[in-house]
This record gives sequence, C-alpha cells and structure tokens, in this order.
Amino acid sequence: MSSDTSTEGMDGTRRGFFATMALAFFGSVSALGFAYPLGMYLWPRERKVKGAGERSMKIPLSDVPIGEARFVRFLGKPAVVVRPNEQQVIALSPICPHLGCIVKWREKEKEFLCPCHGGRFDSKGIVLGGPPPFPLPPFSSSVEAEYIVIKEV
Amino acid sequence: MDIETLHLGPIKIKNKIAIRLFSALDDRLGVKEILDDEVFEKIVPAHLGFWSCFGGISFFLFISQVLTGMLLMVYYEPTIEEAHGTVAMIMNEVPFGWLIRGAHAWGSNLMLVTIMIHMVKIYVSGIYKPPRELNWVVGVTLFLLTLGLSFTGYLLPWTQLAYWATVVGTETPAALPYVGEYIRYAMRGGEEIGQVTLTRFFAIHVMLLPVITASVIGLHLIQIRRQGIAGPM
Repeated sequence: MSSDTSTEGMDGTRRGFFATMALAFFGSVSALGFAYPLGMYLWPRERKVKGAGERSMKIPLSDVPIGEARFVRFLGKPAVVVRPNEQQVIALSPICPHLGCIVKWREKEKEFLCPCHGGRFDSKGIVLGGPPPFPLPPFSSSVEAEYIVIKEV
Repeated sequence: MDIETLHLGPIKIKNKIAIRLFSALDDRLGVKEILDDEVFEKIVPAHLGFWSCFGGISFFLFISQVLTGMLLMVYYEPTIEEAHGTVAMIMNEVPFGWLIRGAHAWGSNLMLVTIMIHMVKIYVSGIYKPPRELNWVVGVTLFLLTLGLSFTGYLLPWTQLAYWATVVGTETPAALPYVGEYIRYAMRGGEEIGQVTLTRFFAIHVMLLPVITASVIGLHLIQIRRQGIAGPM
C-alpha cells in the first residue's frame, strides 16, 4: 500500500491524492457501517404503556375523599387529583417545575410540598415559597355523575 | 516542533496542525519513542506465518466479546422472569440485536476454536519449552478462564438447553469425593438451580471472569514482549 496517506497528495503526487481519497472514502463507509447499527441498537424503543393513548381519564368520586389527594397516571405521566373542600375538584401535574420531583400533598396545611428542595404550592398549584419558577401545570377537571373526569387543558 | 515531515514508520505526515498536535503529546509523554520501539520499528521474525496468528485472533475475539457483551447488557435482565424474554426481544425486536447477540454467541464458540489452534501450534512447535514454560502455564489458565466464561454465559438466556446444561455442568463436579457436593452447592448457590444461580452466573460472567481474564491476558503479553517471539522450528 502507498505510504502517502498524508496531505502530501493534495500538493504532491497524483498517486498520493488517490490514496488519500480512497482512505477517506473507505474510512467513512466503514465508520458509518459501525455507527448506524450501533445507534439503531442503542436508541430507546417505544414501549406500550397501558392507557397511554387515552386523552381523558375517569376516577370514581369516592376514590378522592374531601381533603385528600389521589395520584394517578395520565397521558403516560403522573397527575394528581385533590379535593381541598366540598366544592372544588382540582387536577394538576405534580411534577415540580423546579427540577422535576413529584410533589406530595399535605392534608393539614392543604399545600403541596416538594420533598427535593422545599417548594410549596397551594391546592391550585400557585407557588407559595421555595425555588419553583412557575405554578404546577393544571389539567381540566369536571364532575360527571359519580366520576371525576380529567382532560388536557 | 519545526520539523517539516513527521516520520512514523512508513507513514509520512506533512500536515502542520497534525504535527503540532503530535509534538505536544510527544513533548509531554515521549510517545514517538514508544511507538517507534514497540510498533513502527519493531522487527517481527520472518518465519511467522498463518498459524502464528491465532493468539492474536483470540485476543481480538476477546475484545469483541467484551464490546458486544456490554451492548447486550443494555437490554438483558438477569431474572428468571425476564431473562428469556429480554433475549428474545434482543433477537426479534431491537434493531440489529440479532447481529450483536449473534456476534457474541458465535464469537464465544470461535474463540475456543482459535485458542485450541493456538495451543496446538505452540505445542507442536515446541514453543512452550524453556524459557517459555511459565507463559504456557499462563496460557492454559487463559484457556480455563475462557471455558469458565463459556459455561457461565451459557445459562444466561434461561432456555431449556441452558438450564439442563447447567444442571449437568454443576452435577459433574459433585462426583468428586468428599468435596463434590459442596462444590455443587456453591456453584448453584443452593440445592437447586434458580434465581440465585442465575444471579451469580451473571455476576461471574460479566464482571469477575472478564476482569481476571483481561489481567491474565496482560501477563501473557508482557511475557511475550520480555522473551521475544520464539525462533523457527
């Protein structure tokens, strides 16, 4: 094999130029030949999650006693339904807008508290204190017959 | 620094940036000296031929087994509920999974073949003779380690074939007088083959034996470098 695998080919011999080009071509082809299967192999595959395709969700009203919160899975992500008093039914995303931890419901204080960095939210998701930059994103919720229905906003 | 052409054995490099990058490394670590001594100006005896390559081929296959094994670990789950399902998933659903697992499974068989050819070549050429007896011992150790890797890897797909092969393989040493039953108990992690067996075979297959084998390969190669390649028959 020719020893002119340098840029010598560019300003030097024709033979060197062809050697460089051939090396570059076969080098790229074999690099792609390894990279493509490797990338395809490692790229995460879609996993079918039960109920992930449904755009709304029904929860029996009796599952959420007044003053308590229920955590459910909606659209493949966590959601929380809370009834702070007899009139209100609120559905929120419990994912803290600070760094993504799941907030928990504190019944006595009627507040959400993020266990990671102490972010506090009221029952409507409004920030009361701590580092969160935004309120908890809401879902639309309504009561139909004996069910709470959650939908995307 | 101001050289016009960098000579690395038969390769001539004229690119200014490449030369400066290489010089920066060379100034700090003396790379050129090592490369010249060990690679570019290293003299290989003229009598080496086809049959001298099988040690190197076995080494290449070991590297390939390590790399494909790492990739398989991305999807494989070593539990008796999931093991077979995840292997089936790698074969049927993951893109190119069949290729990775095929390379690993065929590579393991091929590696034993190349090691045996290597051993026969060393034996019939008398290369094991002094001063290379110790490297023969290290080489036989590597052969046994490879058998251990094959044996522990065989159980991991958790198929009927894998299960019963492990039953037989752990029953065999039980025939040893006095210690046999204890060896079987230790290999299985209990009286029967189950989750404990799978977990320990997995740990041995992906961590313990590969690390030991890589270290012993290092010893094998250091000895070759110290003693040089044996002369012709």
